Amino acid sequence: MSAAKAKRREKKMRNQPANVQYPSPPQVESRAENGGGGEGLHLTGGQSDADPSSKKEGSAPVRHGWVRGYHKDGGGYNTEMPNHITAGAFARARAAEVSAMLKAATKTTCSSHVFQVLPKHMRRRAMSHNTKRLPRRLRDVANRMKEKNLLAGLKKRKEPVKSKSRKARRRHGNLLLEFNRRQRKNIWLETHIWHAKRFHMVKKWGYCLGVRPTYKCYRPCYRAMSSHCLLQDLSYYCCIELKGEEDKLLAALTQLTCKEAGPTFSAAMFLSGARQGSVTVYRAGRYPSDPLGPVTFLWRPQTPGLTHRQLWIWAHPALKQDLLPELQSACQCSEAVAPPVEPEVSRAEADPTPRAEPNPDNELKAGAKRKRRCKDGSEPPAKRILGDGTRLPTSPVTWRSSSTGLVINDLTMEIIRYRLIGPQSHSVLAETLEAATVCDELKFSPLWWPEHCKDQSNMNLHQQQTDVFNVLKGIYSTGELPPGTVLGLTVDDPRLTLPRQKVKAVPCVNQDPVGDEEKRNQLMLQGVPLQCCQSFLWERSVRDNVTDNKISEQELNRMRSELLVPGSRLGPGPQQGRVPVLLVHQPGKQVGDELGSWGAGWDLLLPKGWGMAFWVPLVYREVRVSGLHMSLKHSQNKAAPHFPHDYPDCPAGSRFQEEQEAEFLDTFRRRPPAKRTNYIKHGCLAPFRCPWQQLAEEWELLVTDGGADRKGGVQTQMTRKSHEVIEEVTSQQNVAAASPPSCFTVLRNRRSLRLLSSWCRPPTCRGQRRGRGAAAALPLSDSAVTSFHATHKMSVVWVRLTLLSKGKPEAHAMVCAPTAEDLKLFGKSPENCGPQEPPHKDHYKSRINRKKKSFKTATPSQESDDPTASTDPHSPSDLLQGLWPDPLPSVVSHCSRVTLGWVTQGDFSLAVGRGEALGFVSVSGLLHTLLKQPPELRGTLLLRNPTSLHYRFVRLNIDV
Amino acid sequence: MTEPRNPGMSSVPQSNPSHTESSSQAVEMDPVEYTLRKRLPRKLPKRRNDVYVNMKTDFRAQLARCQKLLDGGGHREICVHGLGLAINRAINIALQLQASSQGALQLAANTSTVELIDDLEPEDPDEAGEPMTRTRNNSAIHIKVFYPDPQ
Repeated sequence: MSAAKAKRREKKMRNQPANVQYPSPPQVESRAENGGGGEGLHLTGGQSDADPSSKKEGSAPVRHGWVRGYHKDGGGYNTEMPNHITAGAFARARAAEVSAMLKAATKTTCSSHVFQVLPKHMRRRAMSHNTKRLPRRLRDVANRMKEKNLLAGLKKRKEPVKSKSRKARRRHGNLLLEFNRRQRKNIWLETHIWHAKRFHMVKKWGYCLGVRPTYKCYRPCYRAMSSHCLLQDLSYYCCIELKGEEDKLLAALTQLTCKEAGPTFSAAMFLSGARQGSVTVYRAGRYPSDPLGPVTFLWRPQTPGLTHRQLWIWAHPALKQDLLPELQSACQCSEAVAPPVEPEVSRAEADPTPRAEPNPDNELKAGAKRKRRCKDGSEPPAKRILGDGTRLPTSPVTWRSSSTGLVINDLTMEIIRYRLIGPQSHSVLAETLEAATVCDELKFSPLWWPEHCKDQSNMNLHQQQTDVFNVLKGIYSTGELPPGTVLGLTVDDPRLTLPRQKVKAVPCVNQDPVGDEEKRNQLMLQGVPLQCCQSFLWERSVRDNVTDNKISEQELNRMRSELLVPGSRLGPGPQQGRVPVLLVHQPGKQVGDELGSWGAGWDLLLPKGWGMAFWVPLVYREVRVSGLHMSLKHSQNKAAPHFPHDYPDCPAGSRFQEEQEAEFLDTFRRRPPAKRTNYIKHGCLAPFRCPWQQLAEEWELLVTDGGADRKGGVQTQMTRKSHEVIEEVTSQQNVAAASPPSCFTVLRNRRSLRLLSSWCRPPTCRGQRRGRGAAAALPLSDSAVTSFHATHKMSVVWVRLTLLSKGKPEAHAMVCAPTAEDLKLFGKSPENCGPQEPPHKDHYKSRINRKKKSFKTATPSQESDDPTASTDPHSPSDLLQGLWPDPLPSVVSHCSRVTLGWVTQGDFSLAVGRGEALGFVSVSGLLHTLLKQPPELRGTLLLRNPTSLHYRFVRLNIDV
Repeated sequence: MTEPRNPGMSSVPQSNPSHTESSSQAVEMDPVEYTLRKRLPRKLPKRRNDVYVNMKTDFRAQLARCQKLLDGGGHREICVHGLGLAINRAINIALQLQASSQGALQLAANTSTVELIDDLEPEDPDEAGEPMTRTRNNSAIHIKVFYPDPQ
């Protein structure tokens, strides 16, 4: 209240002349000599304005001015009068006072409007519109104000007028310039404008990406994935090209991978180029610590007579900044090669295509190019950016090694990648793509295809590839194919066969000749023959040629309109582009027992510039289109870790975790305090992140200390023990801050995973009988566990948890070990919902309240001293109600059930029909728990959401 | 490339219950050498009155679905298909349908053999070389459940 008053007073004082001041105690002396007149007179001057500070004055010891009510000491005037007055000074002072008074009287004191001067009963509707509704004395002021407002409005409106009219702005060239300006910071994919009209866009990893469509389509997208086809633009994945001799390449790359974690770059099936492989990359020689992230890779099939090999590594953009330097150091490629001139062509700032210069006679033949050339001459080039628009044109994209001769090429945004997920995805492809028609023109042509047609070997290869592609059409579902198949192909411009309406692509299995049956069986058994994996997409010159010679949409429409029969299909002529593409089969769910091959599909790789030309025809085959959200769900249903969400040990993963925590904390803070979940009461220590490092450390300590009395196996003992340990931990943490602690690792050793997986199943279940190899050899026992633990210290393992009853798991839910009593209850009735966590007490709440209270009591005294400083209600406090402040207490034994790990992704799985969660658990903790469980209930754990006190039973699966 | 059917594999429980639903499982053949992944059985186009029986869906639900096709769906005949482990269940469903119709329905069963493909992925890919595929056969049953023509 008093703060507001002070503000008002300050405002009033602003308008006063300097020599007239309101009376306030410390200024009495100065005024006396200034005015030379009696203070009483002064005071009357002060009183002419309603004095806002009079109340405060009342409390002051010396009283001046009017005082409300009766006061004992007379209150009012000072009886002491001056002896003499200097006339000049006195008159001057009075004149100044009078002028100040007049000024104050003419000025409206209130803040904004004339109307507010009027008492409420005299106000009328729409007074601002019609000033005649005001009393006459206020009309002038109101008119003046109105004019002023109009002027101000004009001024404001004028600024945007400076830019061009909408018509001008929407003109094609200007629009493109504007688009080019807008994609200077974040790269736009080629389908950006299509997506921006239909999707919620987000700027991530330096790209503008669609998250999810603006219309509701969660379930339709799922259905598309499991029964038809879902399309996704994955062009934001970065492609890194490595060239060099095979053994040198392999020698460099083997440093980054390890055979224990699965097949690597050197695996024979990938090395031939017939399959696409995927691998987790580590820092050179650092396996099993310091992973970078997962990549997929594809070798170019060996061309006879060439020792040089070519390898494409596809990585997520969040991973690229870590991967590229690592690759450079591994290959010793430090010399940056200046970018060649060709890539400049596609940039917006590049001048008219240099490719067009050498052969102007060809240029003149095709109408499209002539037109383009005229345009180039007349107006500034406004070409759409193809490729990476954020990169400086001078920044290097190629690195060469002088010692080994290896070359690294950054092909980011050079190749477009579309992913089709679902069993019908290859029927969609078969309908959209048509193998290129041979064109036997003998003249010289700037296009690549007629030149290639002259070579008979090329034609043979093309014929083979076409045959394989045609055979593929007879296959009903994508999951029947050999996983990871690669097929190179050259296709016609798909815009030529664009249907006039959307048609649903359905497989055509029936009308097979008998010969095809044989061929198909051959294909299914042995995969695509090796020579068919070759594609001209690997050649840079062909790619550039295809990109440059694309017929524009406008030209295509012109050709359509010139057709003799309107509406008939345009035939593939010689001047139309033939596009080399690569089809890469994506295996679906390969691990685990259920839902085999779920989510299998094809990846379509295209040269840049052709994005929309293929996108629209694909969309016209009634596929669903989805964004980042669905790709997360796709990998969730496949029970595969999704990068960067589920790679907490990678640098990109930990960065992502930090971002995610900040985001969650922000949404939490934005809720009103009374509506926030009190996570302390729920016993949830870290609702917005998962402290994996702390978990691994604590379990390590627990297991090493508790090794002696593990046989006792009583939960309470264990928790007590852990409490003791925790104190150690916290004390140690302070000490150990200086020394670099060993980081936790994610267990990726295939053999260990398989062993662990067999231990997690109850021995009576089918899996155990089946996996008679490892599990039979090494049953779960103390000694086995100890040796296992010795080799995998500080590690966590990726698990899939299926809820056994109802419930929907959420991210950061806790995975806990059930006690013996819980298991007994569970054994009696498996539909039992599970135990409850007793509510915790929030000790911090009282502390926060106390703090608030003390803060409140502190404020008034401050205010009286300094009214301006006290207005800030937020004091810097690290306590946020409902959240544990750092450092966290023991995460393992905080609740009544011991925590083993957390969930990173959880949702109701439409594929399984139950809640399913994916996450990590500590290996030591898991083994410790499994040892104590009865064999028939092995692998039964508890799961608790951060916002709930209810534990639910889950079954743990480790899929290998 | 194609290996003859391994007699040892006969003990492996067949978990490819039908054409529509099946599972590929990681099986230890020889734990050091290969990982076995089963591919999906070949799918064929499906008419409205084709019912593919699997082991995952509840039995009663599948029975009710068949019943609904016969009663409300307006189909004079339906085809119940079962593969491998699901043969038993397919027979069960057909018999149940017949029993509940008080003799109005008739059955005609056919058996067939379906060729299935397994992928054998070498564990140590550097040495073992190419991945292998092999075919194995599995039995299937196709039961026609129909109302006999009045004449």
